[in-house]
Amino acid sequence: MSIVYDNTRIGFRDGMMELAAERDDIVLVSTDSLKVVKGEPFQERWPDRVIELGIAEQNGVAVCAGLASSGLIPYLCTYAGFLTMRACEQMRTFVGYPQLKARFIGANGGIYGGNREGVTHQFIEDLGILRTIPGYTILCPADGGQVKAAMKASVDIAGPVYIRIGSGREEKVFPDGTPFELGKIRILKSYGNDVALFCNGFILNRVLKAAAELEALGVHATVVEVATLKPLDVEGISAVLASCGCAVTIEDHNVIGALGSAVAEVIAEGAPAVLARLGLQDIYAESGYADELLDAYGMSVGEIVRTAQKTVGKKR
Amino acid sequence: MVDNMQIKQLEEISKGLRRDVVEMVYRTGDGHPGASFSVADIITALYFHIMKIDPTRPDWEDRDRFVLSKGHSCPILYAALARKGYFAPEHLMTLRYLHSILQGHPYAPKTPGLDSTAGSLGNGVAIGLGMALAARIQKKDYQVFVATGDGELGEGLIWEAAMAASHLKAGNLTVYVDNNNYQSGGTVDEVSGPYPIAEKWAAFGWHCQEIDGHDLGQIIKATAIAREVTDKPSVIVARTVKGNGVSFMVGDNTWHKRVYNEAEYKQALRELGGVL
Repeated sequence: MSIVYDNTRIGFRDGMMELAAERDDIVLVSTDSLKVVKGEPFQERWPDRVIELGIAEQNGVAVCAGLASSGLIPYLCTYAGFLTMRACEQMRTFVGYPQLKARFIGANGGIYGGNREGVTHQFIEDLGILRTIPGYTILCPADGGQVKAAMKASVDIAGPVYIRIGSGREEKVFPDGTPFELGKIRILKSYGNDVALFCNGFILNRVLKAAAELEALGVHATVVEVATLKPLDVEGISAVLASCGCAVTIEDHNVIGALGSAVAEVIAEGAPAVLARLGLQDIYAESGYADELLDAYGMSVGEIVRTAQKTVGKKR
Repeated sequence: MVDNMQIKQLEEISKGLRRDVVEMVYRTGDGHPGASFSVADIITALYFHIMKIDPTRPDWEDRDRFVLSKGHSCPILYAALARKGYFAPEHLMTLRYLHSILQGHPYAPKTPGLDSTAGSLGNGVAIGLGMALAARIQKKDYQVFVATGDGELGEGLIWEAAMAASHLKAGNLTVYVDNNNYQSGGTVDEVSGPYPIAEKWAAFGWHCQEIDGHDLGQIIKATAIAREVTDKPSVIVARTVKGNGVSFMVGDNTWHKRVYNEAEYKQALRELGGVL
């Protein structure tokens, strides 16, 4: 069966088009990133609502603070690390602290997003960095349609929002028109309660395949999408943990700071369970084809299956 | 535009704001008085003559905006907002205390009349640019004013914003450089070397003026000229004196952040025309 792709960058662009058609407070801010997100149709239709600032991300975020404090909703999309690392302080002090309605879209999320560009353009820290900053809503949708739905679901949130996207080769996971479940986990498969597989972003496709393989091996998994990383659905995650008693987190991110850490915190604070965390094991990756990278760094379907089996074996 | 009588009144207001700062720093035991005094006349001119504002409607969409990029000078801005009527002057004596509306550095959501959060240096020009571009998008005619320090010009983001503002022809943006020649560690010459300042802004495409930043008439006139320049942003390099208005603070950079003892407090108030 051939893979159907659902480009998250196009998802962002289409989300912008739909939002701007509905309301006049939407502004697209570019740090020479307009072409990266195929934003030309937006620019052609609403040239007055595009602000091009050149390659200057700190300026981009601070300009967003000025725009948002004047009643507009700026969307700044550029590479995830140039936002959350280079402009981290602007995101924290001038947007997070005053709780302004600015939206940041981080591209090239994970090694899958950065692929052949190498470490400078592979961002495995963005979600963890932002999770430590008070007041951000952090969304990690699985495909292009979900990016668009996440933008529409979050447009009126009072504070800042971060949405992670990729580089354009994301596999379609959800049928067209599937809404985004803001603030809630979503159980995508319930084969049984042997093990919970927590996941977000565009490796959800791999986790669904792993769950099917596990089922064939007699291990009944529950696949849980945690697309809203913050605020975390602690209640929903706790209920799944109570039911399964063991879990694997799978994320294209450093295992420190984001989904793996968040689930570990829930476990430690009141939902005891055995846990294994798949993702970047606190190391930098290297250049390579996207799928080969995920395979090489412990996020292959086979590795998810093996890790789930081992984790189930540790259950008392 | 402004007559001698108005200038005299503004000078009195400016002295009064400085007295407020002396009281705040002495009574609350914290704050940055030196840099408050160098920017005092710019803030006086803006809030008591230049800006289109309405203290009964701090969130009025059409108001002019001010961003104090050198946020550590906020005691003088807090004094101006209080005397303008945004909040009761009693709040001034809660500066930097727990639960005060007056945070150590400006935090817009807590303080009526503040247009921007500030304090981490180098960010104000970019934030002001965002406000200026918002006016263009929303077809409003308000002006945006920003005050930066001279030591602050070492921050790269100042120049990112300077380049973008001129490229985008943000004619409703005016930046004052409070050129008091000092930063925390010494004179700007010794520490960071920002000179020549006006030439740098000019090279970035800004309309430049250089004035005496303690001459209220010059501040008002230069701002009016800047307003007439609509195809590029304007910078007004204001030569100022850190600690201006109190003799023993001038030339002594320990007043960057220092608290008055009782004798200093009394002398400062006397020099500023206060009644003890």
